[in-house]
Amino acid sequence: MKQISRRAVVLLLLALLVVCGSLLYVVRYVEHGQDWAAAYARENAGASGAIIDRKGLVLAAFSPSESQFQPDRELRIANFHVTGDYYGRTGTGLLTGYQDFSLLTGSSFSENAVLYLNVDAELNRKAFQVLDGRPGAVLIMNYRSGELLCMVSSPSIDPLEADPQPQEGAYINRCLSACFVPGSVFKLITAAAAIEGIPDLSERRFVCEGSVEIAGVTIKCSGYHGEQTFEQALSNSCNVAFSQLSVELGHPAMLRAVRRFGFLESQRLDGIPSAAGSFPLENPGDPELGWAGVGQSTDLLCPYSLLRFVAAVANDGELAEPRLIRDGSLGFSSRLMRADTAKELQRLMHYNVVNGYGEDRFPGLRLCAKTGTAERGDGSSNAWFVGFLADEEHPYAFVIMIERGGSGLGAAGTAANEILQYAVNR
Amino acid sequence: METASVLLLISRAVMLLCSVCLLVRCLRSMLRERYDPETWAFLRVGGETLPVTHWENLLGSSRGADLRLTLPEVRRFHAVLRRGDAGDWRVYDVFARGGVRVNGAPVGRDGLPVKSGDLISLNRQGLRFVEADAAKREKLEAGRLPAGRRISPALTLLELTVFQLFLLVQHALSAAPQVLPAITLAFSLLILLEWSCYNAMRVIGRSGFEVETLAFYLTSLGFSVVASSAPEEMYKQALLALLAVVLFLLCGVWLRSLKRTEQMRLPVALAALVLLGLNLVFGREINGARNWIILGGFSIQPSELVKAAYVYVSASTLDRLFRRGNLFGFIAFSALCVGALALLGDFGTALIFFVSFLIIAFIRSGSIATVFLALAGAGMAGMLAVSVKPHIARRFASWGRAWADRWGTGYQQTRAMSAAAAGGLFGKGAGAGWLHDLRLNAAANTDLVFGLVCEELGLLIALCAMAAVLILVFFALRSARNGRSAYYAIASCAAMTMLLFQMGLNVFGSIDLLPFTGVPFPFVSKGGSSLLCCWMLMAFIKGADNRKDASFAVRPGLKLFRGKQEAGA
Repeated sequence: MKQISRRAVVLLLLALLVVCGSLLYVVRYVEHGQDWAAAYARENAGASGAIIDRKGLVLAAFSPSESQFQPDRELRIANFHVTGDYYGRTGTGLLTGYQDFSLLTGSSFSENAVLYLNVDAELNRKAFQVLDGRPGAVLIMNYRSGELLCMVSSPSIDPLEADPQPQEGAYINRCLSACFVPGSVFKLITAAAAIEGIPDLSERRFVCEGSVEIAGVTIKCSGYHGEQTFEQALSNSCNVAFSQLSVELGHPAMLRAVRRFGFLESQRLDGIPSAAGSFPLENPGDPELGWAGVGQSTDLLCPYSLLRFVAAVANDGELAEPRLIRDGSLGFSSRLMRADTAKELQRLMHYNVVNGYGEDRFPGLRLCAKTGTAERGDGSSNAWFVGFLADEEHPYAFVIMIERGGSGLGAAGTAANEILQYAVNR
Repeated sequence: METASVLLLISRAVMLLCSVCLLVRCLRSMLRERYDPETWAFLRVGGETLPVTHWENLLGSSRGADLRLTLPEVRRFHAVLRRGDAGDWRVYDVFARGGVRVNGAPVGRDGLPVKSGDLISLNRQGLRFVEADAAKREKLEAGRLPAGRRISPALTLLELTVFQLFLLVQHALSAAPQVLPAITLAFSLLILLEWSCYNAMRVIGRSGFEVETLAFYLTSLGFSVVASSAPEEMYKQALLALLAVVLFLLCGVWLRSLKRTEQMRLPVALAALVLLGLNLVFGREINGARNWIILGGFSIQPSELVKAAYVYVSASTLDRLFRRGNLFGFIAFSALCVGALALLGDFGTALIFFVSFLIIAFIRSGSIATVFLALAGAGMAGMLAVSVKPHIARRFASWGRAWADRWGTGYQQTRAMSAAAAGGLFGKGAGAGWLHDLRLNAAANTDLVFGLVCEELGLLIALCAMAAVLILVFFALRSARNGRSAYYAIASCAAMTMLLFQMGLNVFGSIDLLPFTGVPFPFVSKGGSSLLCCWMLMAFIKGADNRKDASFAVRPGLKLFRGKQEAGA
């Protein structure tokens, strides 16, 4: 008898395995519970619901018996990264993240959940048409109210198609979930740091002879700019001037600025996380710091974090936090930079358009902007165009990025004009 | 609307509290109750008196012997001293190596009777066997503490009842009005059943109710699963529960007599094989496995009933345990069962039988080598099966990568996991989930039941359900130590091996930690045959629980003794 009860202890081994398995499950549950719940979003969302854009257009709706989408295919595709689908193929879609999820309560259940969006689905369609299949991102928001009007990522898919053969990266929302080499748009950040860190900036003159040598390493410029004031240097997008400024400000001041504007953290758009950017965290040495100051080196920025930055500049340093969903509550705002810094940047960005890019390219828009042609290191470059309209009727801040698009002004600037003309005239 | 959400909130809190309390009480009762040994007789060796505390005792010089005799010429395991149902004692020379005598007469494998005052000799060592007389027995029994004195079983059962009532409240909030009466009635019947059962035990003077309480707890989770997935079958479920408890009581009463139990092992083994054979011939295929028999409108899964038979047949008394014939019989019976199940395509159940076989084989023989040999053999057979049956191979191929093949082989598991995650720690409320829709998830109330319980009642209650099975395992182990016969000890451990492994396969299969084999969660998964089998297996645990006045499946020690005195007079 004693022998038998002793041997029976092997049963405890089996019990131990069961306990270990359960613990492993609990760990996985804590780690992935949200993704699991989101995977069958349709089932987990509740009894019925709908997603309706700012003009009252129903983008997606579901009831216990059926799921519907907007009948217009192009509209569905253009808004895919906003609505998501019932398969959970994009991480940022509202259908995917429809339910409030917490480990404590699981996904919360709502009888009839209707989401009214700030997004204008037709504006999204226009932006998608303008991108014309090129991979890229378009973001437009009202910098006074925080309403996000346009969020388009290309390429995209039809959410109704169960098994599409999409272009690479169609499931990724380039506005929120990816980071890109910023190139010259980063000079806005260096400029903000310089305005606050260098007292005699307006008296400075910057001499550009096509390149500059910093500690034995040559930093090339896009042109031969000669002697320039600070505003001229920005409008020329002069690498010589800005790499020198970056080195003069020093690594701690540059890192502080990048941190303060929220570029290194994941930001949230109504709870949907954005990708965190990168900037050399340790002092990489002067030449590399020079490159980092003009948006090369290891710099990577998420388009959404840039939108927050230009929106704060446009709103005198106070950021009205972007909101995808229109709800009753007032959005909150926070100060990203001093008002005088923001106003100076506004002036500089307006100077860019008037003296650099040409106002006649953007008829009637009262545009303040900055271009970027970011070398990706493989011979191609990302085209950027970021800025805002100094127009109280249309207080729009925007970020437009075209991957491998070529010239910032030529590709992204032209696209920006088309999209913004449409937005203003809507 | 407002009251509904408040009710839901309260019911979640109360249900969790009741679950935890009743589990802790059952566990504490096991830890804190005294498992006083029963003393049946004495062996006098020189000046020493050793109490004989089991019906089956291994005599020898080993630490593992029940009566340890560290004397010269006594072998490590020398002889078995066994008491029969009627108080008749026998000595067996189990290893047939000679050197065992009673009053000078040599003892063989089949043993010789021993009476009080007889001299048992092991080689040249003499032991005087003295049976405890009535007065002594009475005194010894009076010193043992009856079960249920420290932790009141009534209060534990009350907690269970409160749990069930709030479970019913949750269903009332979500169920369609036309099915609500059926759900209410079924739950009321279950509550009535458990209290009747408890009162019946009180009437016959038995006070151990932990096993029943845990089984009723799991059964009520099963009721909840049926109520949300197939409410039209609630009446059937209630009747099944009634039938299951009746079978449980019958099996328990049957187990009271060890002689009867032993004599029927062969007929039960044959009946089980015939049942499996009939299944092979007349079986209907439902969901890939041919393990169903349709009988008068009822679909029965014989493989479930054979589980109870397997435990019944596999256990053995100590005197027969070491006989070759007995061991070979056990191996042959196991092989036939596993083989038949494999032919039926019931891969999961075959695996349960096989693992139970391994553990029972180890408990019986203590030989790790045998177990490894069996494992190696099975491994090869398994590989053969996997190569022959493509659907089994596919299950293994998708194991651990369910999310990568969400719309293919991982469909069921990912849905269970998604629903489980959506439930959070406290659940959406009974009947308020989506997984229970059988049109979309055919296996929701059987193979994916863990996901369903997680979604509707929350992860914590689901873990409580697993804990209930684990506590039953500890209970079986604890009881085995004091069991009267090796038969009861082996049977109760074998029963829990089966249920524990089955639970592991069900839970970890549905959450992609193990290949998805599609076996039921004991008591909780919907399925009549499975519920009946689980309750019958509980009878084996009751059979081993010989705390004083604890179990109806164990005859009280004192009565046994008095009966013998009368018969002798």
